Amino acid sequence: MLTPRFPAAANTTPDELLASVTTEPTDGRLTVGDDRVRDFLIAFSRQLLRPEIARRFPELGSLGFFLRRGEIAKSVERLHDGSAGSRFVPRGLVLHFPPANVDTIFVYSWAMSALAGNSNIVRISNRSAGAAEVVIETLNATLADAHPAIAQTQRMVTYDRDDTITASLSLACDLRVIWGGDRSVIDIRRHPLAPLARDLAFPDRSSFAALSVPAWQAAEPTAKRQAVEGFANDVYWFDQAACSSPRALFWVGEPDAATAAREEFMALLPGIVAGRGWQVDAAMAVEKHVATYGLAAEGVASRVRFSGNAVAEVDLVSPEDMQRRWLGAGTICHSTVGSLADLVPLVRRKDQTLTQFGFSAQELDTFVAEVAGRGIDRIVPFGSALTFAGVWDGYDLLREFTRQTTIWV
Amino acid sequence: MTTTVADGVFTLSQSEKQSLLLPELVRLTEHHRNHGEAYARILSATGHVSGREYREEADLPWLPVRLFKTQVLKSISDDEVFKVLTSSGTTGDVSRIFLDKEAAAAQTRMLSKTIQTVLGKQRLPMLVVDTTAIIKDRKSFSARGAGVLGMMNFGRDHVWALDAEQQPDLEAIRGFLAKHGDQPFLIFGFTFMVWLYLYELARDHKLDLSNGILVHSGGWKKLIDRSVDNAEFRRAFAADTGLTRIHNFYGMVEQIGVVYLEGADGNSLYCPDFADVIIRDPQTWAELPPGQPGLVQVLSTLPESYPGHSLLTEDLGVVHGVDDGHWPGKRFSILGRLPRAEARGCSDTFSAGAA
Repeated sequence: MLTPRFPAAANTTPDELLASVTTEPTDGRLTVGDDRVRDFLIAFSRQLLRPEIARRFPELGSLGFFLRRGEIAKSVERLHDGSAGSRFVPRGLVLHFPPANVDTIFVYSWAMSALAGNSNIVRISNRSAGAAEVVIETLNATLADAHPAIAQTQRMVTYDRDDTITASLSLACDLRVIWGGDRSVIDIRRHPLAPLARDLAFPDRSSFAALSVPAWQAAEPTAKRQAVEGFANDVYWFDQAACSSPRALFWVGEPDAATAAREEFMALLPGIVAGRGWQVDAAMAVEKHVATYGLAAEGVASRVRFSGNAVAEVDLVSPEDMQRRWLGAGTICHSTVGSLADLVPLVRRKDQTLTQFGFSAQELDTFVAEVAGRGIDRIVPFGSALTFAGVWDGYDLLREFTRQTTIWV
Repeated sequence: MTTTVADGVFTLSQSEKQSLLLPELVRLTEHHRNHGEAYARILSATGHVSGREYREEADLPWLPVRLFKTQVLKSISDDEVFKVLTSSGTTGDVSRIFLDKEAAAAQTRMLSKTIQTVLGKQRLPMLVVDTTAIIKDRKSFSARGAGVLGMMNFGRDHVWALDAEQQPDLEAIRGFLAKHGDQPFLIFGFTFMVWLYLYELARDHKLDLSNGILVHSGGWKKLIDRSVDNAEFRRAFAADTGLTRIHNFYGMVEQIGVVYLEGADGNSLYCPDFADVIIRDPQTWAELPPGQPGLVQVLSTLPESYPGHSLLTEDLGVVHGVDDGHWPGKRFSILGRLPRAEARGCSDTFSAGAA
């Protein structure tokens, strides 16, 4: 049994759901950048940006921003649809499996796919809470003034563990989007797709940060403070467990200058963390001790230091010991390297985001060229590690959610 | 202070214990540093350099007890390993505790001395509140099976209170009481099972347990859900079965051989002479005074073969008083367990979604 959450409705079966979601809607099939979808997303965005929501759930504020009229227009324009003998068309029915714990990713994934003109079925976790629940309520509230095509083609459902439902939905969709964890990806991939269908998978990733020591030395005190504040956001949001949360921080420069920069940086961090009211409870503190003492036992950490429970610092014995696994909220593994080029051989395919401070576009471009596809899909400044973008994990989502038809006259 | 036989290994006042334990614990810290590379690295990384002075037990370095699940921590060579003890955790990972011959003998000896404090030297007839099924397969028995088997050494003429289907065996219990009920006898089991299977049965069938000495362990979590705490447990057994000699104990495989035993005054656990507890504030990690609950650190001079002499548990506890109870030293209670920290990151596996 499936429980429709958006639009809220009585329990249904996979067959009924598939039959109704794929019926041609009033005023015809959805197209790429369809006005019916744009209007709905814009109205939804306005609701999310209301102060009473955005203040309680900052992540919904970011989502609302992402779905504003201008942002949506920019996303669609980026396709250059209709130019140079090519036309983008919807893929058809898209099935989304979002992660259980990141409350809002399913909305980004769904919204881009809807904007691409697809019918969508999103499987919502039955553990969903907080921001995710507000999203569902807000979507349902927005529906009242929406074109009927929205309610008919866009569905969010929950269902209990049931292989047969996953199997029948998988077989019916044209694109299956799997977020959240290697195991989820492997498990869901056991269910075959139709021959013309394909998967878009977002498995486990890991991320690290790098800071240019000369740039730090040259920075004004306010810029330094901003950098530390941004880094604190990157680390503490989602308990440092998101794919984009940095776990290692590389100090790029001369060793003595790097040590001085690190001291200055780390002297600012605990105050900023405390100022935000971010706390680490006893269970998390124990988790961090287990993880960091374990690194010491393994000979990976030469030094482990706690500044209260909130900030744990690890000195890596060597840059090669960069940690990709979760070490508890607020655990920073430091290492010093002479140049960005020293990081090149360390990069793995699993590495997603490089969060950076103080490098020039030219330096970063050279770095990406030298990395040559070993890994890294995204380089962002400190403070933007967790900012969602239309290009994610190396995929331009709107392009992935469409097919390109070429026209040769 | 005079040591009486009756008090066994519960003889030292807190100040006597401090002065005896501290140098031993410092020696053990050095010993494990010199004989275990992983432990030496942890000490070095956390600023506990060789020769550092420790004025109090609370200054000594501690290891998080879960580290025995993620690391191999031992201070003996591979060919000296005589026994590897394991405990299953809630998450499926397992602690591995390495003992050489000497350490295995020492833990058995100290456990005996501790238990004999309340049982005396003679082996007593023993009623085991469990099923024989849990020790049938000796290759794969659980922590529960190992616990039962360890305690069986302290009894004789063992009778199992549960049948193979884990149902109370009233006839077996009646037979045991008919034969041994008029003289002291030992009852052992896990707290929850003792309550669920023995207490209710004894109450309903008016069994006389007044000559029994109950030793039980395993935590109160399941009983708290039924509004049964230690005081209610003792009250109900006394009122409905006549059983008053009840000794709860607290221990863990990572400090094998150490049992923190409930005294005759009830509702307080005591540390044997070779062990101690410290309650720590989980925010500041400072030692907390009596009356303030925090995380339990356990200290013991027994672990020679692995660095388990100073461990931070994931149990919450409180010291009620010092040198003011049935036995000298600290008296304390375990209040529950710290939940396991969970990340809400995007790599979380949506297990139901994997359906």
